[in-house]
Amino acid sequence: MIEFDEARPRRPYESVVPLINVVFLLLVFFLLAGTLQPTDDIDVDLPVGQVDDKRASEDVILYVEADGFVYLGETVMSADLAPYMLRKFLDEKGVFDVSIKADEKAPAHELIKLMEGLRNVGVREVNLVTEQSE
Amino acid sequence: MFDAPVHKKRIVSLTPLIDVVFLLLIFFMLASSFLQTQSIAVLTPAPNPEEVETDRHVVEVWIMNDGSFRLDGDPVTPDMLADGIRRKLGGDPEAVVSILAEKQAAVQPLISAMEAARNAGAQSIGTSRVEALR
Repeated sequence: MIEFDEARPRRPYESVVPLINVVFLLLVFFLLAGTLQPTDDIDVDLPVGQVDDKRASEDVILYVEADGFVYLGETVMSADLAPYMLRKFLDEKGVFDVSIKADEKAPAHELIKLMEGLRNVGVREVNLVTEQSE
Repeated sequence: MFDAPVHKKRIVSLTPLIDVVFLLLIFFMLASSFLQTQSIAVLTPAPNPEEVETDRHVVEVWIMNDGSFRLDGDPVTPDMLADGIRRKLGGDPEAVVSILAEKQAAVQPLISAMEAARNAGAQSIGTSRVEALR
């Protein structure tokens, strides 16, 4: 008579140690390689450029959307009106260091109009934010 | 009388550790950004023409509707723009580079033109908008 084993040996559990190794590796990678910064509410594709004046100010950031509208914080305005809305804001905060994040597809006229208006309210220099090109 | 105490070392469960590590991993994956930005400082254009000095040597960069460049009216490739401006400037420290954008031009060529003028060594860069060139 053929004898069968009563119970087949249970399949051993897969070890979780290699998994933890990989997860730790990824964790350390994201810790070291990434930088934490507040995300932009407004989605703009920044134009690429090489010149860096190292004068990134986070005081006042104006966004120029691809359709030409200007965002300051949560207010939307046209490029003609933006500087006058901004004047009050600038007087209160007392900053004249303005950064502009313009979409690469935004009309250049709107950006120039905005800069002309900023000159009118006393801003003599703006920082145009660009993305590093390879 | 008593059994000898069992000295069996229990393995500490790894599951809570993995939970926490996964949580941290997902946090850093979502919160970190790898986008490197920089900024170019530009002077805001004077809205009224009286402020612009006219007795200086002016090099004009035109940005056409299709995003191509013209240097004093002659078509020029984006790669050659900086060299062309440098040649036109001829080492004159007083010379002005004037960037004129047509109505349909986008921000990207405007930024490229500003950077080209900067790389060419221009001290004074102006921007203005025109409806159409020629």
